[in-house]
Amino acid sequence: MVFSTPIFMFYFLVLTLLVYYIVPRKGRNVVLLISSLLFYYWGEQIYVVIMFLSTAIDFTHGLLVERCKARGNHRGARMAVVSSIIFNLALLCFFKYWNFIAGSLADAGLEFLPTIEYIRLPFMDPIPFHLPIGISFYTFQTMSYTIDVYRGDARAQRSILNFGTFVTLFPQLIAGPIIKYKDLGDQINERTCSTEKFASGVQIFMVGLAKKLLIANNVGALWDSYKAMALSDLTVAGAWLGVLAFTFQIYFDFSGYSDMAVGLGRILGFEFLPNFNYPYISKSITEFWRRWHISLSTWFREYLYIPLGGNRCSKSRWMFNLFVVWAATGIWHGANWTFLFWGLYFFALLMLEKFVLLKPLEKAPAVVGHVYTLALVMVSWTIFAIEDLSHLGGYLKVMFGLGGVPLADGTFRYFLSSYLPILCLAAVSSTPLGRTVYRSMGQKAQYAMCTVLVAGGLLICTAYLVASTYNPFLYFNF
Amino acid sequence: MSKKFSVFLTALFCAFIGGAAVISLLLPDKAFSPLENRYLQKPPKLSLETLNSGKFMKDAEDYVSDHIVGRDFWVAAKAWSERLSGKKENNGVYFGAQDTLITRVDAPDQSKLDKDMAALDALVGNLSVPVYFGLIPSAAEIWKDRLPAGAPTLDEKDLIHQLYFSAGASTIDLYGALAPHSGEDLYYRTDHHWTSLGAFYGANALFQAMGLEPLELDSYQKTTVTDQFYGTGFSTSGVRWLPPDRIDTYVPDQGVKVTSYFKGMPEEGSLYVDSYLEEKDKYSYFLGGNQALCVIETEHTDAPRVLVVRDSYSDSLAPFLTERFSQIHLFDLRYNLNSIQRYVEDQEIDAVVVLYSLPNFLSDQNLGLLAR
Repeated sequence: MVFSTPIFMFYFLVLTLLVYYIVPRKGRNVVLLISSLLFYYWGEQIYVVIMFLSTAIDFTHGLLVERCKARGNHRGARMAVVSSIIFNLALLCFFKYWNFIAGSLADAGLEFLPTIEYIRLPFMDPIPFHLPIGISFYTFQTMSYTIDVYRGDARAQRSILNFGTFVTLFPQLIAGPIIKYKDLGDQINERTCSTEKFASGVQIFMVGLAKKLLIANNVGALWDSYKAMALSDLTVAGAWLGVLAFTFQIYFDFSGYSDMAVGLGRILGFEFLPNFNYPYISKSITEFWRRWHISLSTWFREYLYIPLGGNRCSKSRWMFNLFVVWAATGIWHGANWTFLFWGLYFFALLMLEKFVLLKPLEKAPAVVGHVYTLALVMVSWTIFAIEDLSHLGGYLKVMFGLGGVPLADGTFRYFLSSYLPILCLAAVSSTPLGRTVYRSMGQKAQYAMCTVLVAGGLLICTAYLVASTYNPFLYFNF
Repeated sequence: MSKKFSVFLTALFCAFIGGAAVISLLLPDKAFSPLENRYLQKPPKLSLETLNSGKFMKDAEDYVSDHIVGRDFWVAAKAWSERLSGKKENNGVYFGAQDTLITRVDAPDQSKLDKDMAALDALVGNLSVPVYFGLIPSAAEIWKDRLPAGAPTLDEKDLIHQLYFSAGASTIDLYGALAPHSGEDLYYRTDHHWTSLGAFYGANALFQAMGLEPLELDSYQKTTVTDQFYGTGFSTSGVRWLPPDRIDTYVPDQGVKVTSYFKGMPEEGSLYVDSYLEEKDKYSYFLGGNQALCVIETEHTDAPRVLVVRDSYSDSLAPFLTERFSQIHLFDLRYNLNSIQRYVEDQEIDAVVVLYSLPNFLSDQNLGLLAR
């Protein structure tokens, strides 16, 4: 199930909140666990078994790690944590990368791995094999659990129900943010719910819903038009307009989901860390990655980069560490070569900045940094969005005037004039301007503004929820 | 945030989502949406099978969306807000000049077209009578000048030319018949069909292709049967700010016997079915809408018999055809699985016309049946 559907808003959420707040505090995690399982089952049916499997295995491993540590058996603790990491990575690799690896090997003439179309289990009908939604998010979360316990950053969870709640928590189950156990464990055990929290959750949720429905889906349709065009029908300006549309789509879609997750979390009494911090106002790629998908970058820093040695090592080792992190970041986003290139593209840019560009960029007028960053980010989204390598090459050529196509045409002017207002809205919403204005208002004005925005948002978002046929889910690759 | 305001905001949110849920549940189910001109999703069936396949979830989502309280309002509100945000299109329908809604035509699936054209050639081979093939360009082509500037849509003229070039059947130059009159009301402004006037020019193109004498527009008295018609463009676009269309007829319903096969059994029909003028779907005024087979017998008993493989455009064309044929058999491949070849032999048909609007031809999944 995804948030931006009428059934989620008007039935799932209503029922869950109703039961959640009626039952006594002790029973709330059970309510969350059941509703989260239902949430996952709704979209993934039999694959919900992964939730049970993940919960049982990681729960056991956590206890094992702690028990070994308590007995001073460090080797045992280490074995347990490694075993848990292997389980989670195996789960992720099997579902996400098996067919990619098998296909790539076959392309290289090494056809020894079969591609999987169905999972065949005894006593069951064959199950169509696909990437279970959100698997990249929840395997990373459960991996953080045993590692945190091993490192002593968190205590092992004693209640399997509570642990199941952590694993399946529906607000952030399918599109993040990736929440580390050490940041959530205490809240799972004990959290306070209040009207203030609920109301601020509503605000954040509405911001996210509006981002997704009013901006992301809107400009997404524009990108789809350009993505589907034959290379010969493109124009230079059109190709950039298309990529601009995707640039806004992915940000507003992804940060919209994150906002909805943070908002829903708060409605239920949780505090999640924010996942995006106006990434498009960055003046360098280094800064961009401090503001974009923060929960993923922090995860990789804490559980991959630093264990590899971080930057406290030789320069060549440090560069190697970064290379590994960015290759992993790339391939995390999807099982395709283009995602690997996308990650390595950022590796190259970050290296370039660290060794050459950062200082001059700091001295240059701000506008240089903004233009530089946005242009490179837009190129990166091109690599990200077009999975077919030859089409990607052709599209990039067109963007840089090498496609032998006109600068602009009637179609470009049509799309530009149709989408200009929404693109302007997206551009302004990518900056903290709205927040600054809101915060500068007096309290009464804030309340009035907030009421108008929430009520108006509910009305317009409902219209788009009900009447839209176009509501893509971008993270099926993740 | 003060406690008081928090309570207010929480109550606002809960009242909205909870209220919408409760009222939607309490409202009686509607099976059909006249405004949107489509059947709404039925309540999902719960079974192990539908659960395992995910069909239950899919149906439930559509059901909730289709039966939400105030659905018609939400659909219109979305179209309005698209318009206010500068869009010139909603749900694949362009907001054209002169209050015209024009459905966008997307690029076709070439392999499907190849198969369908092969089926058409097979039909020509199967029959000993001449086969005529006509593709009616849509308003997006003929009324190009009403589209928003630069709006992408298929080059229908070019595609029709290509298909005609490869077709084994004799072709009917409908583009050539309609394009010179593009300043006239050839199509409804809010519906994808051609008007009776458009059908008149279409009929003459057909007669010309068959070597029959053309009709004179001056010899008819135009009758306006309704001025309250909102068509499919209105339904799918959600656009609710345009004036309604008029439906005109030219040929009086006299001296013809119409037999309609709506449900397999013959019923007495008529060229015009007045009861539809009271409903939303007023275009079904012509012959009563989609039917597997419709046989029209005229007073010109010595004229040829024609079989038309139809889509809904033929319904408003039929009145003009009564002037030149003794019998008109409208055969719908979607509902009629009989062999055309056998039918032509049994009924002693003199000519077969395969007549589709181009968008219908591109999307129809039953054209393979032509070869039967």
